Amino acid sequence: MRRLWLPGGLVLLVVLVALAAPLLGLPDPIRQDVARRLAGPMPGSPLGRDEFGRDVLSRLVWGARASLTVAFASAAIACVVGTLLGLLGGWFRGLGEFFAVRSMDVLLCFPPVLLALLVVTLLGPGSGTLILVLAALYLPGFVRVTWAEVLSARSHDYVEAVRALGAPTHRILLRTVLPNIAGPVLVQLSLAVASAVVLESGLSFLGLGVVPPEPSWGLMIRGARGTMAQAPLLLLWPCLALSLTILAMNLLCDALRDAADPRTAPAAPPRWVDRLLPGLLPPPRADAVLSMQGLTIEIVTPRGTIRPVEDVSLSVRAGETLAVVGESGSGKSLTALAAMGLLPPAARPVAGAAWFQGRDLLRLEEAEHRRLRGSAIAMVFQDPMSSLNPVHRIGDQVAEAIRAHQPLSARAARARAVDLLRRTGIADPDRRARAFPHELSGGMRQRVMIAMAIANRPALLIADEPTTALDVTVQAQILDLLAGLQRETGMALVFITHNLGVVAEIADRVTVLYAGQVVEEGTVAEVFGAPLHPYTAALLAAVPEGDGMAAGIPGTVPPPQDLPPGCRFAPRCPHAAPACDAPQLLAERAGRAVRCTRADELALAA
Amino acid sequence: MIWAAQRLAVSLLLVWCVASIVFLAIHLVPGDPAELLLSSGGVAPDPAAVAELRERLGLDRPLLDQYVAFLAGLPRGDLGASLVDDYPVLDEILLRLPRTLELIGAGALLAVLIGIPAGTRAALHRGGAFDRFASALAALLLAVPVFVVGTLLVLVFAQMLRWMPAGGYVPLAQDPGRHLLLLSLPALAIGKGLVAVVFRMTRTAVLDMLARDHVRTARAKGLPPGRILRRHVVRNALTPVLTVLALQMGSLLGGTVLVEYVFNWPGLSTPLLRAVEARDYPMVVGIVLVISALFVLLNLVMDLIYALLDPRVRRA
Amino acid sequence: MTALVQAQGLARSFGGGWLHRPPVQALRGVDLTVARGEALGVVGESGSGKSTLGRLLLGLLPPSAGTVRFDGQDVGAASRAEWRRLRQRMQIVFQDPFGSLDPRRRVGPQILDGIAIHGLMPPAERGDRLAALLAQVGLDPAHAVRFPHEFSGGQRQRIGIARALATGPEFLVADEPVSALDVSIQAQVMALLADLRRQLGLALLFISHDLPVVRQLCDRVVVLYLGRVMEEGPAEAVFRAPAHPYTRALLSATPRLDPRRRLPRIPLPGEPPSPANPPSGCVFRTRCPQAAADCAAAVPALQPVGAAHRVACLRAAEAA
Ligand SMILES: Nc1ncnc2c1ncn2[C@@H]1O[C@H](COP(=O)(O)OP(=O)(O)O)[C@@H](O)[C@H]1O
Ligand code: SF4
Ligand code: SF4
Ligand SMILES: [Mg+2]
Repeated sequence: MRRLWLPGGLVLLVVLVALAAPLLGLPDPIRQDVARRLAGPMPGSPLGRDEFGRDVLSRLVWGARASLTVAFASAAIACVVGTLLGLLGGWFRGLGEFFAVRSMDVLLCFPPVLLALLVVTLLGPGSGTLILVLAALYLPGFVRVTWAEVLSARSHDYVEAVRALGAPTHRILLRTVLPNIAGPVLVQLSLAVASAVVLESGLSFLGLGVVPPEPSWGLMIRGARGTMAQAPLLLLWPCLALSLTILAMNLLCDALRDAADPRTAPAAPPRWVDRLLPGLLPPPRADAVLSMQGLTIEIVTPRGTIRPVEDVSLSVRAGETLAVVGESGSGKSLTALAAMGLLPPAARPVAGAAWFQGRDLLRLEEAEHRRLRGSAIAMVFQDPMSSLNPVHRIGDQVAEAIRAHQPLSARAARARAVDLLRRTGIADPDRRARAFPHELSGGMRQRVMIAMAIANRPALLIADEPTTALDVTVQAQILDLLAGLQRETGMALVFITHNLGVVAEIADRVTVLYAGQVVEEGTVAEVFGAPLHPYTAALLAAVPEGDGMAAGIPGTVPPPQDLPPGCRFAPRCPHAAPACDAPQLLAERAGRAVRCTRADELALAA
Repeated sequence: MIWAAQRLAVSLLLVWCVASIVFLAIHLVPGDPAELLLSSGGVAPDPAAVAELRERLGLDRPLLDQYVAFLAGLPRGDLGASLVDDYPVLDEILLRLPRTLELIGAGALLAVLIGIPAGTRAALHRGGAFDRFASALAALLLAVPVFVVGTLLVLVFAQMLRWMPAGGYVPLAQDPGRHLLLLSLPALAIGKGLVAVVFRMTRTAVLDMLARDHVRTARAKGLPPGRILRRHVVRNALTPVLTVLALQMGSLLGGTVLVEYVFNWPGLSTPLLRAVEARDYPMVVGIVLVISALFVLLNLVMDLIYALLDPRVRRA
Repeated sequence: MTALVQAQGLARSFGGGWLHRPPVQALRGVDLTVARGEALGVVGESGSGKSTLGRLLLGLLPPSAGTVRFDGQDVGAASRAEWRRLRQRMQIVFQDPFGSLDPRRRVGPQILDGIAIHGLMPPAERGDRLAALLAQVGLDPAHAVRFPHEFSGGQRQRIGIARALATGPEFLVADEPVSALDVSIQAQVMALLADLRRQLGLALLFISHDLPVVRQLCDRVVVLYLGRVMEEGPAEAVFRAPAHPYTRALLSATPRLDPRRRLPRIPLPGEPPSPANPPSGCVFRTRCPQAAADCAAAVPALQPVGAAHRVACLRAAEAA
């Protein structure tokens, strides 16, 4: 938003000056005074006189008026007509759409300057012609933007909801669709105004726009060119005025576009704070493939630093499957990405260690980490469509993973890739290797991701919700595949999910996360059979199974910028007591770990 | 294949629409071209002269006849002759078009050679010194209109420094060195906008790609950074960048008018401007038609390249 | 129980036409009734036509073939005025808690939209109605002045339900209303829907791909595969004794917490074929473990296998 002020103010200033031109008491911009031809600055004419002895300052101000009138008038006409056409075309589809949108394709076949010249030839130069031409030029832009936005708005459930309520079409278009597409249309409007100023000045410069002796910046530059050798300053003023105005307008457009498009929100600037020194934590479990201790991650956000992961410890042995469960926002993915060294730029591990093959993953050099990634540690992501590169064949993408870590020829790698695809249950792998990701189904894509992950026989595979986007029958296939591969290779598997049923089916051990902390850890049989932490118990009770109604947990997970000071589950916990107001520590209890002071009494009471 | 044929058909249809619109515009706009052409300074022209001209232009025939004759002439390249000097319009265009295309090509070359690497670099070090400097420069370049840049270049390099002539043209075959010298300023003027646009688009597209899941996958595979950048970032970013470049080059067909005027570059714009002023209809119509057809052709080629770059487009 | 919604021979295809690939056949030959106050579950994998069915029943989408009757009235043949009146009596709740509310309007006016559109109440009384609606779905009436982004997913789902209830409908289509929610929140919203149904006597078409969820809420279930009904019957019977090979495979693939509830996995090879090019005969035959030559010959009709329990499979009797 701050970026709007400076360019916005400048544009406003130009507009105000142009509007106030008659009130400023400037000399007549048209009156010639040949005696003062090319005179320098003098009283009453701070910028001097032009080649006909006319006052330059006055011509600049009145020129702004001419330019802006043409620009705003043409953009406004294009905006109103174009938005209307786009709305109707997008909403009613069919023939209306064909004429509204396709006719614009024809208009777009004329390069802009050319169309302008054609119309000027036919109608003769002048401001009226200019407005008409520019409006016609910008019309397709508005039609297309509105049309595309209406189409996307139509597919939104909230538009469907209003339709389901029986709202008449005009009400839907005006009250629901129009406000929601106003942002892009506004951006288009600002773009049109800015580019109209450019075109107007260009045409006037060619002598085909504003008709002399009317003042206009383009005409002033045209005039000053002739006397460039004697009076270069005359050239400078209109050039400066024009360029500054356009610059301010462009900046305003950019700022508006950013404001209208949430995707381009600025990222947090990186900070130069060093990581904590290692060494204060207990040594890793001897038999663990991955042993993570006390992982804490900080993210710098515009509204302060948050800790979405705090003091998370987990470990997994060879051949073992560890499930990490938690609701959305509990920090599951960040924990996994930290081990991979793939945290987003704004996030940093600030404490803890992640031991893997004698090395702390959190403190590895990037180059060293890279050698581990995809070979000793591999990862499978949730959304297999976006996780594959749409422009490369899947066989090449798998082969690339192999060649990143093994000195193989391209041919050999491709042959291995086909093998891997076969091993992950893809029928006809020779042909499928040449397919692009969009040609495969979701389950098939996930198989490709898995083939890529096991390409270099990893000791540890991290799977982040690998089946969440899939249907149950396909999910069952993928779970079987992962279990089979694990049996064959003896790799350790960290399986991240929010589905407790899946945990029960595939995992040996489970780590339960809540609001960024581990609340309970142990074997699946023990934790699911007799949960020690009230959250685990509540979560299990919320799973629909059998005939009784599942019980929800009241309230919601606290966001990381607003965590309770004591036990993070306290606001939703049925057993909360004064003792729970203190921060809770993860405590060992009968070979399991639990983060709740009252765990002992509650277990006794049960 | 069906897709390509469909696109070709649509393109031909568009060219036909353009031709018809241009024809209709000339003939339906109020005012008789012949009368307009002969009138000067508000003096009514001699009726006999008007009638004679109308006959020469075929304006006395029914509109439909004229339209059919006009369309029939197109495939043969018959665009008529100039009203001013009777020179065949097509010959004039064929002489001058290459010079205009040379300007555009030089500008596009600059854009690809400077804009893409600079945009990539700025995106990789977002917020760094280079990014801030290059982004500000691009904003500035975009803000200064092309004829202002051209005029200022002439002022500085020709008038003040006297390093080169203010403009002009020498055929390449005649004096390659001087040809390139004369090309340099107009190419710079044309290229400044292209470079800025391509820079900005590359920066945005690369930033977008860097945040994509498939780049995370590439990193998870342990690929070296250079390879990730080439195969998974820049390769994917190329599609929007080339689209924008093509759009810009398209709008430069005809948009070179200003630069050619400032630098006295004898491209298509000289006859075009002269024809506009003299209301030399066949010439204006011919140039508009040829350029629009080129524009449509450019879009077609771009669509095909687009399909090569992005397999998802092929089946749509 | 009397039928409130009755669909006959319902079919809908998308796309196709001039120079295009074959149309997607989203739904074919579906007969179905929803009784007053009944909760009918619709299950099936993505793309099986569940959402299409919901929108067809509401008249939001015209069918390619077949009719929908609401309370005896043909929805497709309704005049403009009749259609508007129907809109007050049938409503919809969507899956996506973020896309189903207009981000630019406060939630209060959005909930009241239905009342405003139909002019159901003098504006002075609407405030009370709004407060009552919010309380009914378990939200603080003071929340009415907030914008959608200020709510969590579960709360937005409650707002969507309040909006649907505003005109006092008799029939509610809930299209995967809990699929995007976390388990702990999912159970809250399920409980709310169950309560509302009891209190208001709503008929419910509950669409879901999650079988245990459907089992909790619904009296009856319809199983869809590739746009066709595979099995329908009382929820209890279908889940206890599924008669269609597809239903059995679906149930066996559903992950279970309790190992004792786990069924022996019936693996299904491959994935559902494209709805643009469905198999002839029984649409399930390309993945069915029991498929035989005769399955390709004709589309199996729904045959009774128990009280109100019907199955479209040639081998329903042999198996089980
Ligand atoms: N508006 C539409 N245009 C084209 N195809 C559609 C449209 N709506 C649904 N379909 C297609 O119809 C089939 C059934 O879709 P849907 O009813 O949404 O299934 P479900 O709700 O079970 O996931 C799918 O193949 C889907 O792609
Ligand atoms: S510490 Fe207290 S509030 Fe927290 S889970 Fe245990 S009993 Fe509940
Ligand atoms: S009809 Fe045949 S293919 Fe279809 S479900 Fe029954 S056995 Fe399987
Ligand atoms: Mg659906």
